[in-house]
Amino acid sequence: MKETFADITPEKQLTDRIYWLINLRWIAILGVVSTVFVVSQIIRIPLLTKPLYGIALILAIYNALCVWGVTYFKVHLRYAAIKFVASLQIFLDLSCLAALIHFSGGVENPFYFYFIFHIIIAGILLSRFETYLMAAYAACLFMLMAVAEYRGYLAHHCLSGVFATSWHEYPAYLVGSSFVLTSTLLIAAYLTTSISARLRAHERSLQTANALLAEKDRIKSEYVLRVNHDIKEDLAAIHTCIEPVQKGITGPLNEGQKDLLRRVRERSKQLIVYVDALLEMTKLKLAEKLEKDLFFVPDFVKEISESIGTVAAERQIVFEVQLDPEVSKMNGMRVYMAEALLNLLKNALKYTPDKGRIVWEIRGEKDRLCMKISDTGIGISPEELPRVFEEFYRAKNAKAKVKKGTGLGLSIARKIVEMHQGKIWLESVLNQGTSVHLEFPASLSS
Amino acid sequence: MAKILIVDDDQDVVEAMRVVLGKFRHEVVAAYDGSEGLEKTRKEKPDLIILDVMLPGVDGFEVAREIKKDERVKSTPILMLTAIKERTGIDFHKEAGDPDWLPVEDYCNKPLDYEVLIDKVNRLLLTRKTS
Repeated sequence: MKETFADITPEKQLTDRIYWLINLRWIAILGVVSTVFVVSQIIRIPLLTKPLYGIALILAIYNALCVWGVTYFKVHLRYAAIKFVASLQIFLDLSCLAALIHFSGGVENPFYFYFIFHIIIAGILLSRFETYLMAAYAACLFMLMAVAEYRGYLAHHCLSGVFATSWHEYPAYLVGSSFVLTSTLLIAAYLTTSISARLRAHERSLQTANALLAEKDRIKSEYVLRVNHDIKEDLAAIHTCIEPVQKGITGPLNEGQKDLLRRVRERSKQLIVYVDALLEMTKLKLAEKLEKDLFFVPDFVKEISESIGTVAAERQIVFEVQLDPEVSKMNGMRVYMAEALLNLLKNALKYTPDKGRIVWEIRGEKDRLCMKISDTGIGISPEELPRVFEEFYRAKNAKAKVKKGTGLGLSIARKIVEMHQGKIWLESVLNQGTSVHLEFPASLSS
Repeated sequence: MAKILIVDDDQDVVEAMRVVLGKFRHEVVAAYDGSEGLEKTRKEKPDLIILDVMLPGVDGFEVAREIKKDERVKSTPILMLTAIKERTGIDFHKEAGDPDWLPVEDYCNKPLDYEVLIDKVNRLLLTRKTS
């Protein structure tokens, strides 16, 4: 089903971004390996390639673990936990970058500015405070490395042949580069977190607006439901009162009286059908979650096709049901499913001329359950095809063939199909016929 | 000729039924809510009860269960009126007759089809007489 704005939870959003981070890391690993290769083999700057490739390997293993972890725990993790995973990853990434720089020239290696990328990522994923912490950690790593190499606690791996002197021996250079890097990282942290904060606030206001709209829509539906309910009660009473008079139970009528009352009754009946459809649609809109039950498909299909078959036979329409014997059970809302299918089949009947043909296929496939209802009816013009699922919409040729209709049958069917995580679409050729396709996830038939 | 109690909160529907049943020489007593329905059942001792599901206060299901618990009136057949489109989630066809859940002898869909109604009323009255 289509993902709506309201479905995007903060958890999902963060998880998506972690996937993005993981993908970026694969690119970074490729970048490390290829840079080391080009620098050492083609430009021929002497590099300690073994530790560098080693770190790339560690990164690759840890990234693979991340992929596994995120996929495995995805559904179970709460926001705080996902955020912790994100922080841990950025922390490890910073540590790995520091190690890479240490083995490839330390302070002499201009790649230390790549720390900025991690801070930008932190600014997108983490809170403002955490981003500053990460910036501070990166700056500390750099300074510790500089001091340790200067004092000889750590071996300095010179980029010999590139620079005439070893920069790690100049305290002024070390202080200067530490200052520039630290300030750059902090400014980067400030800028990214400011932008993210603004974006997040914007997102929240959109979400609030969305929730408000949904609530308004619900109130509107409830209102429609109430009004309709009242209208229906009156209509039913009118209908009930006219019938005995029209049928002559209260006394004989002349032809003119009979005819007029028949018209009144027909119109009230039509209104009841209309109000019923509207009530149904509104109730479906208000329903959030409905109970599902397991039912036998052959029985279900038989029940539906019997009622359709009788009408079809009267009009000499061939009605054929092709049920895949593999499909035995369905897990869904039986009453609603029956209603959707009856709506579709009745439509087929309504718009297929006498002596036509209607075929209902039910097929089980590996990962889905498919149905197709095809008829040899009047068809739908290509211009109107996209609109027929709209509420109250009726195609021109449909109106010409059958004057009365609510224009809700297909909307109701679609709503029910969507409640079962299914898809529905139409194929049609004008004056030749229409095929309705339905597709449900396999979970429906297990 | 029989005495029939109609329990329905819609007066117009009651009157329409009264006219139709009157044509068949039945005497009609009306009650407009659940508790009045119970009261009239005990007082009037009708031969048949036509009972709507949706009633203000005590609903039709509850009324039916109460009647079937009462030794003096439990043998009175009940014909329940249901609006089929109102999704009560109940399959009347299968569940009607269950003594604990839906203790009614038969049911009729609303809006009423009088031929069906008369047919069912007569049949229920006949079984009552023979039993």
